[in-house]
Amino acid sequence: MAIGGLVLPFLFLWTLLTWPVAGNAAADAPVRVLRVLAWPGYADRDVVKGFETRHLVKVDLTLVDSDEALWEKVSADRGANIDVFAVNTAELQRYIDEGLVRPIDVTTIPNTRRQLPRFRDLTRIAGLTRDGKAYGIPYTYAEMGLIYDRNQFPTPPDSIAALWDPQLRGRVLAYDTGGHNFSLAALRLGSQSPFRIEAADWPEAVDELIALRRNVLGFYTRPDEATELFIRHRVALMFANYGRQQVQALKAAGADIGYTIPKEGALAWLDCWAVSRATADSALAYAWIDYTLESHVSRLLVSRQGLANTIDEPPTDGADRRLIWLEPTEDAERRDKLWARIVSGDSAKRVLAP
Amino acid sequence: MRLGIAQRFALIFAAIGILASGFAGYYAYRASRVLLVRAAEARLLTATRVLMRQVTVAFDDSARNVKLLAGHPLALTALSTTEQHRSAAEDGLAVLFREMARTRPEMFQIRLIAAADHGRERVRIDRDDNGPIRIRDDELQEKGHLPYVYDTLRLPAGDLYLSRAFINRERGAHAGEGQPSLHMAAPIHDDRGKPVGAVVVNIDLAGIFHQLAIDLPDDVRLYLATDRGDFLLHPDLAQAFAFDKGKRALVQEQFPAAAALVDGQARDVVVSTEGPEPTRGVVATFIRETLSAPQREANFILGLSQSKATVLRESDDLGDAMLRIVVGVSILSAVLATLLARAVTGPLDQMVLAVQHFAATRAREPLPVSRRDEIGVLARSFDDMQQQIESQMETLQNKQRELDHLASHDALTGLPNRRVFLDRVEHALVRASRTELQLAILFIDLDHFKEINDSLGHAVGDTMLLAVADRLRATVRAADTVARMGGDEFIVLIEDVESATTASMVANKIIESLAVPVTYRDEQLAIGASIGIAIYPRDGLSTTEIVAAADQAMYRAKLGGRNRYCFATYPGDADTMPLGL
Repeated sequence: MAIGGLVLPFLFLWTLLTWPVAGNAAADAPVRVLRVLAWPGYADRDVVKGFETRHLVKVDLTLVDSDEALWEKVSADRGANIDVFAVNTAELQRYIDEGLVRPIDVTTIPNTRRQLPRFRDLTRIAGLTRDGKAYGIPYTYAEMGLIYDRNQFPTPPDSIAALWDPQLRGRVLAYDTGGHNFSLAALRLGSQSPFRIEAADWPEAVDELIALRRNVLGFYTRPDEATELFIRHRVALMFANYGRQQVQALKAAGADIGYTIPKEGALAWLDCWAVSRATADSALAYAWIDYTLESHVSRLLVSRQGLANTIDEPPTDGADRRLIWLEPTEDAERRDKLWARIVSGDSAKRVLAP
Repeated sequence: MRLGIAQRFALIFAAIGILASGFAGYYAYRASRVLLVRAAEARLLTATRVLMRQVTVAFDDSARNVKLLAGHPLALTALSTTEQHRSAAEDGLAVLFREMARTRPEMFQIRLIAAADHGRERVRIDRDDNGPIRIRDDELQEKGHLPYVYDTLRLPAGDLYLSRAFINRERGAHAGEGQPSLHMAAPIHDDRGKPVGAVVVNIDLAGIFHQLAIDLPDDVRLYLATDRGDFLLHPDLAQAFAFDKGKRALVQEQFPAAAALVDGQARDVVVSTEGPEPTRGVVATFIRETLSAPQREANFILGLSQSKATVLRESDDLGDAMLRIVVGVSILSAVLATLLARAVTGPLDQMVLAVQHFAATRAREPLPVSRRDEIGVLARSFDDMQQQIESQMETLQNKQRELDHLASHDALTGLPNRRVFLDRVEHALVRASRTELQLAILFIDLDHFKEINDSLGHAVGDTMLLAVADRLRATVRAADTVARMGGDEFIVLIEDVESATTASMVANKIIESLAVPVTYRDEQLAIGASIGIAIYPRDGLSTTEIVAAADQAMYRAKLGGRNRYCFATYPGDADTMPLGL
């Protein structure tokens, strides 16, 4: 009888049974990571997945819901934590001023050829170029109109003054931001240049915003939060910071609402992709921008969010719109600081304190 | 390498012993790990439940305190429109709030907020590094646009507002600023049931949980998540309040089993994961609980986890013990197997030895014939066989001896025959050449034997030959050889002959003894002999030479007149010697 014939299977079995459960020791190979900073609805999970699968990278997506938050995140560590981010043309200026963004070579983004002509000629869009270099690629835009409850408004409100209407007290929702709200206050005060508040006009603007604070139910930041508050508290009027994106969301939630552009005009923003100067992988950042301009991605902005994209002409509803495209404000930092005090409930005196 | 039966047996028995103990040990080790993990799960679940119980008690306690403050008469007075009473009531309430804050470290902030004046704070106690401080006058803020005010004012009396967990970003919130917090508020209604204000307490979320979890062992980690699964507390700080930083970190993503809690399909789940810590390779339990408040925000998920490495440490000890037992049993089984193999193969070896010895020497060694087993049977059979072989060998040897005798001796006289004689001469010559002694060959031929044999018959001849053989044997020394060469010829070998004289003396004695007639049936038959003598080395050096020389001498003796002897050579003397000369 061959002993080996017995001993070998025994040893094999023994080894098999006592072999330590090997951990997945093989360290994952380092994966390129693209850090994207975007707004709700700009890069849904499936969109991100599609990019990750195509380029075999990982996308680290962070959502922002205010210009202040965006500035805070990008300017931290001089942009070292971000590769590509979406910012409106007005806000872009301070990023260029601070040297936080890098010029974009449009030829590296072939899908810009799909864009409508007015979005391709970057020199004609205020704030996108400086010294002949492009700093942003337009992605989506919206105007910030007014959303109203049809049941509480027999006729649509025609002025932003409705936000201050004491009749609507506790039934108004506004957006929690310094930048746009001071512009809104300036428009309300009849200013022709809402992005340039003169030194003498600050107290008046602060008073207006305190009055707004006293008239609203509250201030929202995210579109989903706004929808929830609107429905739960039977809100009558809302300043739609995200424009038609919110109209679509509210209608989907079953609200009977209308959307109007007030006679003073509507602030409008054009969000662009900008690339952080500190990025270590600009090629991947350009690939991301190129990817978002593909029609199946860009059209999701329309179909899912109600936003506009830059590759299709939006359907005209015949309304005469007066759009006030956002511009850099006289002092974004001051607006943010004063707004933080206003929204915390301070009096005018304390808001204006140094 | 060839292995003997004993080694094979030992190996097989040892292998069986090692296998049995090894398998038993291994499966016991495996089972112990499963049991330990289960025990840890049960322990953690209990701990989580206890902790949850403490949390709900703490929240209920805080809620009671908030309601108590809201129901205090001073609160209503402080909210009244009469300026005069209001101030004193505010001061009184401030003292109350301060005491409350002093004894309740989890309260960051306690405020009385009026419905009037756009939700203006009336009494506000904050907490800074030195403890509770009162905020006064124009530092008080309007909070009417914040949900904890407008939502609370819409609640019926006796209800409680509970916010979602959040990071406090209100300016001027002192110790609470930037901290994970929770707003708890109770409305205050006037006599007519109209909401006139609220007591709002800002709860230190992290503090309250860490306080409760302080008794947990060091290796137990605490998790807290909202009803949607967003982490509020997490061992990895980056995962807590990720939603506040524009990200999501969800309990159901890190612990997929917890999805049942988020969906509301389960109240508690037990998770066991593999991989690196902190969220992999742990045993964890999660419980979903609703605090006693009406809002959905009151749902949350609490969890505890413990590293598997810690849980399984005891099992490693057990594994060591098992290993020692397995090794011990293996050695023991190897020893036992060796002994057993020896017990079987010992008697076999004994028999092998006996067979080998028997084959070599035909001597019989002791066999284990007394055993009652198969080996005993074998031994007895072998013993019988040995006996049989022995007796057959004996018979064979006897036959052999007889044959040998027949081949070397004359059948009638019993004397050695020619062949044996020549062989002995050969040997004697060798000895003689070595000792330098002489030897003599006496060739004897009976006189007139043929006439007797022909006239009186063979029986007479045979009787004569027998008588001659007897007389020759009696005449020579025992050491000398007498042989019959055939017919009436005899030959004698005398060794150690000093001289020819010795040979002649023997020849004389022979002639004398043969001179006596042989009696046959009362008849006296006379015989006589002619003898030829050859001496070595004088008459020849080889057997053939010397025997031939003796033969020729005998012929000369016969020719010389018979009944005499004659030397092959006899210098100086007569060629032949007649008897008596």
